[in-house]
Formats: sequence, C-alpha cells, structure tokens
Amino acid sequence: MKKLRLAITGMTACSGCQLSLLNCENELPDLLEKFDFSFFPLASSPLDLIGEYDASIVEGCVSMPHEKKLLLELRNRSRYLIAVGTCAVFGGVAALKNDEEREVLRKQVYGSSSIVESTFRPLPLNNLVQVDASITGCPPEKMELLRLLGGLLAGALPVDSDYPVCTECRIRENICLLTERGELCLGMLVSGGCHARCPSMAVPCEGCRGPLPEANLREALRIYAEKGFDRETVFARLRRFCPEWRL
Amino acid sequence: MSRVSKVDILARVEGHGTVELVSDGKRVVDARFLIHESPRFFEALLTGRRFDEVADIACRICSICSTVHKIAALQAVEQAMGIYISRQTALLRELALYGGVIESHALHIFCLALPDYLDVKSINELSEREPQKMKTGLKIKKLGNFIQESVGGRAIHPFNLLLGGVGTPPTPEVLKEISDQIRIMRSEISETIVYALKLEEILPPLSPLEQCAVIGSYQFSAGKLMTSTGRVISADYGVEWFNEHIEPYSNAKISRFDGSTPLFVGPLARILLSMPPLYSENFVDRSIRSSLKARAVELELSLEKAEVLIRQLIEAGLKSEQPAVSRSCTTEGVSLIEAPRGTLLHRYRFDTNGICRAADIITPTAINQSAIAASLKELIVLMDGADYDQIKKTAEILIRCYDPCISCAVH
Repeated sequence: MKKLRLAITGMTACSGCQLSLLNCENELPDLLEKFDFSFFPLASSPLDLIGEYDASIVEGCVSMPHEKKLLLELRNRSRYLIAVGTCAVFGGVAALKNDEEREVLRKQVYGSSSIVESTFRPLPLNNLVQVDASITGCPPEKMELLRLLGGLLAGALPVDSDYPVCTECRIRENICLLTERGELCLGMLVSGGCHARCPSMAVPCEGCRGPLPEANLREALRIYAEKGFDRETVFARLRRFCPEWRL
Repeated sequence: MSRVSKVDILARVEGHGTVELVSDGKRVVDARFLIHESPRFFEALLTGRRFDEVADIACRICSICSTVHKIAALQAVEQAMGIYISRQTALLRELALYGGVIESHALHIFCLALPDYLDVKSINELSEREPQKMKTGLKIKKLGNFIQESVGGRAIHPFNLLLGGVGTPPTPEVLKEISDQIRIMRSEISETIVYALKLEEILPPLSPLEQCAVIGSYQFSAGKLMTSTGRVISADYGVEWFNEHIEPYSNAKISRFDGSTPLFVGPLARILLSMPPLYSENFVDRSIRSSLKARAVELELSLEKAEVLIRQLIEAGLKSEQPAVSRSCTTEGVSLIEAPRGTLLHRYRFDTNGICRAADIITPTAINQSAIAASLKELIVLMDGADYDQIKKTAEILIRCYDPCISCAVH
C-alpha cells in the first residue's frame, strides 16, 4: 500500500500535541511503516514543503505573519487539514488575554524594544482556513491521535465529541468534585474524550478540552453560584483555554 | 509533486529557530542562531491570575519540560504563600522530575541527536539504520513518560501535581511496576548507554566554556547557583544575575550575566560542576560537543535515582494526604531548579489578595544563547574555507548539542 504523506507542524504552541504523537512509543515503528512523515520538523530534516500532502496535522494557534503564510501553504497542498489540540481549535492558553491589546502584553514582556511587533491576537486555525477535522485537548489524548491516523488510512476523519467530561466521570463512578466536595470542576461544560482523566484522580476539570457544543452555560452558572462560585470566577477559569465563552 | 517551497526551520529541536550564515561573498564569516518562535507573553498572561492558577498555566510554556515548569512554579508560589509540602510530596515531585529527565534525554539522544551521529536525516531513516537502538531508545523514553504519568497523571502538563501536594498519590503497585521495568531493562539500557558513550565525535573539539548549575543539582531544588568561575548566587538575586537583554535576532531574552564571559547550563555543566571525578573525568575536553554523552550518563543516573526514590516512598508507605494550605503570605517567591536542559528560574510577586502582579521566567535555552553564539563563532573560525552547506550542517549539529527548547526560551 502506498504510504500516506503527512505534514505535521506547530504554530504558536508548546509542541505538546506533536510530542503526544512521539509519545506513542509502542506504535511509532508501525506508524513509520504506514506513513511518510514528509514534513515533520520536530523529528526530521529536510524541511522543504514538497508537493501535495494527504493530510496536514497542525498544532497551535496563529499569532505571527509567517505562521499565517505557512498555514495557507499547507492548506493549499493538503487534501485534509486537521487542527490538533486546544490551541489550534480554540486558541488555548496563548489566547488567554485576547481581550487585551496585544501591544500592551508585548510591552509588558519586551519593554520599549521593537521586537515581535508583527504579532497579532492568537487565532484558532478555522479563523483563517477551512479545517476538515479537529482533535481537542491540552494535550490531546494519544489514543485520539492514533484513531485519527488509523482513520486516515481508511479514508475517514474523526468526529467531534458530543458529550461532556461529566459523562465519562459518571461511567468511572468517581465522586463528584463539584456537588460533593464543592470544588470548581468544569466537567459539565467541557467536551469529553479524556475519560475524565483529572477528576478520576480527584483533580477538578480545568476545561482543557474546550466547550462542549450546546453546553448549557446558563444552567451551569446557576449550579456554580449555588456552590458559591460567582460568574467572574467561573468565566476566568473557562477562558483559560478558550476566549470565546459567552452567555 | 515538484512544487517546492523553502521553509527555514532548524530541524530536530523543539520549536522554531534558524541558523543564519553571513558570507562575505567568498567565505562564511559569521553564524547566528535566530529564534523566531512566536511569543505567547507568558509573563503577561500570568499577571492578574490568582496564585492557585499560576502553575497550571505556566506549565503550558513547554510540553517536553512541562513537569519541571509545573514544579518550579508550584515551589515559587508555595514559597510566597507559606505552603509547606510533606516529605511524601517532595519525594513524588523529585521522582516526577527524574521521569522528566529520562524522557527528555531519551528523546534528545535517540530521536533528535542520533541522526546527526549516524548521518541520517530523520527518525524514518534512523529506524531503518539502527532499528534496535531506536526501539530501546523509545522504550527508555516511554519509561520516563510512565514515571511522569504515574506521579503527574499525564506525561505532558501533569495535572496531579498540585499546590501543597498531589491529587492522588500513585499506588505502591504502580511504583513497583516502574522499578520492575527499570530492572528488566537494565542490561539493555546499559548497552545502549555504552553505545552512546562510544559514538565517535562529529564536531571538532570546541574550547571549554564556563558553566553554572544549581548547587547539588541532583537534589534539584536547592536555592543557590554555583558557577565554574567561583561564584555562588542566591535564588533571590537570580533574575538580576542572569541579567536578560533583548537582541533583534532572538525573540528569547538573552542572559548576559556580568557581561564578562558566557556561561552555559545543562547536563554537561551539571556533571562538570557537581559530579565526582568518576563521572567528570569522562569529559576531559569539557567541550559542548560531548553533551550527548553527558546526557547518556545522566540518563543512567536518573534511572538509578528513580529506583531509590521509589524504595523510599514504598518504605514510608504511601498515604492519601490533603494538600497543605497557606500559613503566612509574603509577596514574592522564587524557585531555582535544574530542568533536563539546565537551570530554570520562576519568580512571582503577589498582592495581598493573592493575585499575581509580576512574573519572571528564565529558561535554560534563553540562558544558553550567549554560549551558543560563542561556540558558533569558534566553529566558523575552525571551519574557515569549508563550503556553505557543510558549515550550515555542522552549525546545526552544534546547536543541537545545546538541546535547545525554543518554546521555553521564548515563552
């Protein structure tokens, strides 16, 4: 069988989504047989974009002109463009202060220097190009990445999760951190798929997978208020990974 | 399939950097390591957040180094908030740190640097040339991740490490499983490390540079720095001593120290500064070109240390503990720690409501930039007359010796 040609790269990010792939140590030798990682700067040189790709797998949000250029180039060369990780899908931690002037943030770090003046508000990929599929998570689960790659071999794309972290938490029969311990757990508003990784270790969900489609924010705010969390606190926490949360 | 577009990114390092060669028309006269990674302005993102959010956000600076960023941030916040952790938490954190070292070093040796030594371009080719070495390398890397997962809940962005404690401690069974895996793999690991130590050097011997590391760096969390120039610097004075500057070619601030000589941090610096001669004697030329070997030595030591820590934890009996709470607040906390790639500093200031008002994060790669510049200059002189491509390739190998982590450097 002909190997699928992949381009895998990162924009404004921590490389965690790409590292998650390199963390599939058991599967990596198999993957190398089935895929041609034609453009994957984290793991190989040379680095020119050559020809067409069956899929581009892109981590991170876009905040610099050269990233925009690379993203468009990848889009033009790829049959599928797949956003991987919360930054690529929602903006992520880098977009945490998207409601503030970029220049103010820049000056806070670089002072009067004129460095990186071309930076702009971090954007998720779908603000710039058509995205064919998304995998969320900070970082995404290894299994989701493997399922994505397996799907590509079969010509399929992953579907978005349509249930909250709470569903998986219930399945694992965890104690509810919100109702029984009064902790600010975001599970009911956040897309599942992580098997409630954090609440299963008694750590509240911090919302790293971003908003669940059709999350009932109004009702959730009422429940949080009952537990003593005001709206401002809840929104501050929700916007850690996705600036778009609004009532 | 012939449309080609040049992408100028240094391969097999974390993040986005480039080597730029300056030619006078005939000869290469200068080389520079340009860092054009996009900044996320972490120091600005963290200001305004509550103390209990700082570490969760700060660990997102970098994936490979997320465990050490998390712990550095936790320590700094705990210092400011007067939170005192239990012995069990301290041991667990140390174990997680060693897991991080094992993962990071295995990744660097087997995925990022070994292709240079074997003159192949990628892990694809490496898996064809040395399938067994690559498999063992990946197994070691996996073990490092397994340790980080067992303690931190996840290999990347470990959520189980909390302010004052952990969410759920690992079970003795899981810890025993780690020890068993180390034991089973021992001879395979030793063989691989010997293999790494015997690799023929590919770079010319570059002159030794001065180093610095956290004192007793294998305890990780001591509060002082030591330099090979004979200075001892306390954590409180760390930000001032590193003395970061901005240069137009790097989005990462560059440490200038006292302006006299560049210092480098990392595994080789740690071995030269704080290891007995048994180890440091292996690095007689003290040159950065041997850094892969320093990493291999540390890899083996880290596996041994992990076993010792696991024994201590199991002997003490693992207990479910409530995270410690704040006893007395001061306004500032500083943490100085050895990350896999070298010295890391986190400093935070808080107001009386526990809101972060200032953050400073100084990372190993940012610190190493002036040493990298000095090494590159020397390399250009040594390779005078060689052709452009040869110099470019060698300069890239040299930069990889410093194992730069560019997301960390810019953050």
